[in-house]
Amino acid sequence: MRRLLLRLAAIAALSLAAPGLTAGAASRFSIEDYSAPKVKDLYLVIIRDPDAQLMALQNGQADILGDIQRPVDVDRLADDPNVNLSLAAGFHGFFLGFNNRSFPWDRVELRRAAWQALPREQIVRDLFAGYAEPLSTFLPHVSPYYEPSVRAYPYDPDAARRSLADAGWTLDGDGVLVSPDGSRVPAQKLLCPTASVAPTTAELASRAADALSAIGIPTSTEPMDFSAMLSRIDERDFQMYVLAWQMTRDPDSLYALYSSKMDIPGGSNLPGISNPELDAVLNRLRFAPDATTALDAASDAQALLAELAPVAPIYSRYSVSAVRRDWKGVLVTDRVTADNIWSLLSMEPASGPMRPLYLVQEEEPRALNPFTSTSAYDWQVMGLVYDSLIAVDPYTLETIPWLAKSWKVETEDDGDGPHTVLTFLLREGARWHDGRPLTSRDAAFTYEFLMKNKPPRYFDNVDNIARVETPDDATLVVTMKNVSFWHLHRIGGLPILPAHLLERVSDWRSWLPASERHPDDPSLTLMTGSGPFVLREYRPGEYVHLTGNGDFWLGRR
Amino acid sequence: MSYWARRVSGAALVLGMVLALNFALFRMMPGDPVTSVMDPDFSPEARERLRQVYGLDRPLYAQFALYVKSTLSFDFGVSFLTGRPVADELRSRVPNTAALLGTSLLLSASLGTWLGMKAALRRGSLLERCVLWSGALSFSFPSFFVQLVLLMALASALPLFPLRGSLSVPPPEGGWGFALDYVHHLALPVLSLTLLGFGGWAIYVRNLAVKVMGEDFILMARARGLPRRRILLGHVFRTMLPTLLTLLLMSLPGVVSGAVITETVFSLHGVGRFLLEAVTGHDYPAAGAAFFLLSLLTVACNLLADLLYSVVDPRVRLDRSAR
Amino acid sequence: MKGLARRWGFWCLVVLTIAAILGERLFAASPGDQVAAPFSKPIWLGRYLPPTMELRLTADSPSATLDWRYSPPSGLSLRVEGPAGETGRFVELVRPGSPPLRLAPVREGFAADGRDIAFKRSLGLPPFKDASAHLFPERGEYVLSLTDGPSFEGSVVVRLEGGRYGLLGTDQRGRDAAALFVTGIRVSLIVGLFAALLATLLGTSLGLAAGYLGGWVDAVLMRTVDLLLSIPLLPVLMALAALWGRGLWQLVLILSVFSWMGTARTVRSLILSLRDAPYIEGLRGLGASSGYILRRHLLPETFPVLLATMTLGVPGAILSEAGLSFLGLSDPRVISWGRMLHEAHSFGAFAAGAWWLLIPPGTGISILCLAFLDVGKHLEETADPRLRRSRT
Repeated sequence: MRRLLLRLAAIAALSLAAPGLTAGAASRFSIEDYSAPKVKDLYLVIIRDPDAQLMALQNGQADILGDIQRPVDVDRLADDPNVNLSLAAGFHGFFLGFNNRSFPWDRVELRRAAWQALPREQIVRDLFAGYAEPLSTFLPHVSPYYEPSVRAYPYDPDAARRSLADAGWTLDGDGVLVSPDGSRVPAQKLLCPTASVAPTTAELASRAADALSAIGIPTSTEPMDFSAMLSRIDERDFQMYVLAWQMTRDPDSLYALYSSKMDIPGGSNLPGISNPELDAVLNRLRFAPDATTALDAASDAQALLAELAPVAPIYSRYSVSAVRRDWKGVLVTDRVTADNIWSLLSMEPASGPMRPLYLVQEEEPRALNPFTSTSAYDWQVMGLVYDSLIAVDPYTLETIPWLAKSWKVETEDDGDGPHTVLTFLLREGARWHDGRPLTSRDAAFTYEFLMKNKPPRYFDNVDNIARVETPDDATLVVTMKNVSFWHLHRIGGLPILPAHLLERVSDWRSWLPASERHPDDPSLTLMTGSGPFVLREYRPGEYVHLTGNGDFWLGRR
Repeated sequence: MSYWARRVSGAALVLGMVLALNFALFRMMPGDPVTSVMDPDFSPEARERLRQVYGLDRPLYAQFALYVKSTLSFDFGVSFLTGRPVADELRSRVPNTAALLGTSLLLSASLGTWLGMKAALRRGSLLERCVLWSGALSFSFPSFFVQLVLLMALASALPLFPLRGSLSVPPPEGGWGFALDYVHHLALPVLSLTLLGFGGWAIYVRNLAVKVMGEDFILMARARGLPRRRILLGHVFRTMLPTLLTLLLMSLPGVVSGAVITETVFSLHGVGRFLLEAVTGHDYPAAGAAFFLLSLLTVACNLLADLLYSVVDPRVRLDRSAR
Repeated sequence: MKGLARRWGFWCLVVLTIAAILGERLFAASPGDQVAAPFSKPIWLGRYLPPTMELRLTADSPSATLDWRYSPPSGLSLRVEGPAGETGRFVELVRPGSPPLRLAPVREGFAADGRDIAFKRSLGLPPFKDASAHLFPERGEYVLSLTDGPSFEGSVVVRLEGGRYGLLGTDQRGRDAAALFVTGIRVSLIVGLFAALLATLLGTSLGLAAGYLGGWVDAVLMRTVDLLLSIPLLPVLMALAALWGRGLWQLVLILSVFSWMGTARTVRSLILSLRDAPYIEGLRGLGASSGYILRRHLLPETFPVLLATMTLGVPGAILSEAGLSFLGLSDPRVISWGRMLHEAHSFGAFAAGAWWLLIPPGTGISILCLAFLDVGKHLEETADPRLRRSRT
């Protein structure tokens, strides 16, 4: 379960590495305060066992631990004088899903009552020792698109009972709810993974079942293999389920999750909510031409979702990270963990000479293939090597410049309907790790490669590109087939690969750039990017060795 | 048809059955790698493309044909989970697992045999009791419990051994330093497996030896006044050898299962964990390859055991050719 | 039988069986219930830990003084009970050497817990650890009181969790570890006994058949053995668990179906080497029937080895169950020692040094295994007097 979650996180990571509002939004943060990384050697040490991770951090064999999962470890590290802890609100969201397609969950008042009957605070206390946030929204509150003023459902089982009674529901002799039109709520099965795979989830499911039974919805859990559960949900063969999502700060995933157009095989509208008003708002959101419309539609969508309650949010996990105190320059905010790129750019020993920085990598990076890798652990590495056009402000999570120093999002109509045109202006002086200059043609070549080969991971990103043009070395114009502000994030978040190496790739599926040496420079691998760190060696099962890119463009001003 | 021809064709048949079973078993499991991508940013069209890339959109018989072809050519295809060629994955993991299991199996078998023989010789002695007890003890503890306690004690509380992996980060330069580093890292896992394994051997060998020493021909040899050492090596051990070899070869696949736990506890990059992840992650190519190779190993061990049996114990061979 | 009464293993098994039968009846609460703060220590450990205390503040008795002589409590909860409405009063904590701290408003329905991050933030405390760890950092006199204001009905209940419970403390859910421990015996016994018994029965009969009958029976059986042995147990169990579910009896069945092969092979190889032994040939020459030879000579001959594998088989099955639990492959609703170890491990008891959660189930498993080995050895010696120590 945890691994899957992380895989989901990973898939979201790319879009997370990109999106936001327009450039230049007011923030105390500026990338111009940063330059090339100070550390010379960066080792991502692969340690999978949480006990070993903790011991490595405590005895100085590791310097950063990015995500501490177990409360007992957090408490223990809080007592360690050599370690600084930080807490970041995340994008993780855990939901109780109802099958909105049939009785009883097609009744909105029942869904609302169920939401209100969930003891979310108590669940967070008991299952996560408080290190999670009781969730009551469909976007994380750290998202720049978050709308706070929506209908809320604080835990109150009596109020839930009252509102059902007001709506005409009654209780029969067994204490089971009967709808106003006389149908008794049938026994409900709540699909959940087995306790062996996901102990907290299973426990949570049984608590949710108890809470619902208490207001007259006879619910029992049905623990099963996680894959079996997913396939049951995928086939829409369920009454209720519990499932975690990696939410994004972009609200346009709400379209995929709750638009009735997505209630099709393979679609993500699992609860099967179908509401014309919601569909209209979600359409407005997905195809918003500019940031203002998008923000407006996002607020409306969240308000409407809170009214309709297609699923009930339960909690969102915090990420707790730890850094040893003998390093300085760490950036932590309430939204990013300590192992972020800004920390890695500016960290240096608090005293004494420079030494290697050891970061715990909780899982094996997989293929280290930018076309197929979906794991967060792969992107933890590749995110340091490859650049994309835009980045995310660690304080506000808004979009900020990265390889592109500015951009425009415009809607044009040259006869065949309106469509979005993105114009990016690239920085000067950016170079690949092998010394060749990076131009807009590299970006264009990358996009065209993705359009031609359609790796599933990028399918949705490039599917709507009509054409890519490079008027000069610094300008990139991407013309889309339709109108959507979100194209900025979907395109701007793509990693840019060097055209001179990419054109030699014969089979993108089995391309393993980290395991092959660069043809001109044997100290490099084919994983040659333009980012702040240079990949030197990946030794499976042991570590990934990177070195600071002294020639990094951020340091070349 | 000669005995060996029959034997080899039987082995081939077994492999064929394993091949078919592998294919069926994983596809019988609910869910597939595409369903498990639960991401709202993956549109239905992107999912369909994923299905194509994995080859899951083809009819089952075509998938089976492809699977058989790639398995028999030891190509194994590309792992769904990692996106790397399965052969590549295995290559990077086999050395660790082989070193871990080979060393510990040899150590525990030889230590166990030696102690078991000694115990059988000195019935009633303190040594026998110690062997029985330490054997029973080492055979009664859950492996992960012992390993975790060892890890806590000898790597954390008293940092004699490294906590994780098979190499330091970065590994020392030069051949000797590198080799020494590797040995240092594997020492604790090997030690733990040996501790856990030798007891079973010792008890088994002792029981067998006691039984054999009660046989008439040994008693006769003793009565004839042959030197003790000669009786022991020439008669007792020789009689036991076929059974011991069978046991050694037979325990190989089981030992691989043990690698799953050991590699988990000591954060080792090996085949055991790969297998575990492949099965749970619906990684058909990877799981199929790992299962097939394991079966190949086992079948080879069986053939070898038979061969050794007939070499060491001519009675079996004579008997078989007579039929 | 008299000899059996002299073995410690026998009595150990008797005691464990009784405990398994009595099980949870020994405890007031069901083993699944939360009884105290998570990861509480055993009562005989950590005397510096405070007792659990509940303080009730009302308009009439608005303050409580604590002479604190302990380490910080392991939890704190605060709730306003009864009709208090909005009173305008606050709950205040006076700590030695610090200014008074307003903990909470006295308002109807208000509840807070030391684990709530929002609560910690509202007090200006760091978000890590329970709020009580920051509120009661040292020894001294603490005063918990209500600020002045109008009188009201109802009370404020402040509860400080002590962090000590029961013989073995509590697990990550606050369940009584001693109750879990006793309940866990049953599973280990059932799995071990039944799996080994089934496997031995299967293995012996098939091994005898293969070894003695030979021919195509032998061929078919040995190919089956090859096939089953070629499939590593653990991954198959995982796959089967996905198909069948992870019930206790499925586990027993699967374990025995995949562990009879060793016995069968050993029996067969023994029969092979015995079959042509001169005395068997002699018997055959004398006209003894196959059944007679099998029953009267070959079966008894294989007995010692059989018992050895059987005795090694019970612990083997128990350990298999524990190993599967460790990998998270057992039925989560069934409380077993393996499961306790798994949960202790996955919730950080090893790293936290909570040895009282680890040692009991860990040694429990091994003592049970040892007891079986001891009894097994006795049975073995009874069956084959040559093994007896007296005859050196």
